Amino acid sequence: MLLARIDGVIVSTVCHPSMHGCRTVICQPLNEHGGAEGAPVLALDPHGAGQHQRVLVSTDGAAVRAHVGDAHSPLRNSVIAILDDAS
Amino acid sequence: MRLGHVIGKVTLSRQDPAYLGGRFLLVQPWNTAKYAKPAAPQPSEAGLVVYDALGAGVGSIVGFTEGSEASKPFAGPTPVDAYCAAIIDEAFHQPPQ
Repeated sequence: MLLARIDGVIVSTVCHPSMHGCRTVICQPLNEHGGAEGAPVLALDPHGAGQHQRVLVSTDGAAVRAHVGDAHSPLRNSVIAILDDAS
Repeated sequence: MRLGHVIGKVTLSRQDPAYLGGRFLLVQPWNTAKYAKPAAPQPSEAGLVVYDALGAGVGSIVGFTEGSEASKPFAGPTPVDAYCAAIIDEAFHQPPQ
């Protein structure tokens, strides 16, 4: 799991059918001091996290496939929680 | 999933039958500078080959997945490392000031 910050969203018309109707956000991984570390990744966001909110990103592809109900989905990352505080 | 620019195509004469219906693209993944400004120069890191069944062209921005999930859309076990899951219309990226 990654600690990350929502830095934006993407818009895609032509995409894998399992992504239809799902919000996909740009997540910036954070280090232990809360600073940006590494290049951003994209994640499915079923919780509706807001811009610049800190979230937990899971890289469990099986969980995403179960969530979207498509065993052939290529998705891997998903926002699993919105953080109140990390210390 | 990561974002990248399509910078070329790969053509094959002999290939695994599982690949029929798609093609292979040469993709340059975005680094942090490209997210901040998509018109910035391409990163100098090595690009990668991505399987594409959606029809992305050179110059498109694509979202691609890597690892075992890349082969999940195929009916059987298929050797694919990266799969183009989305052609991006627009990426709104705005980090906090």
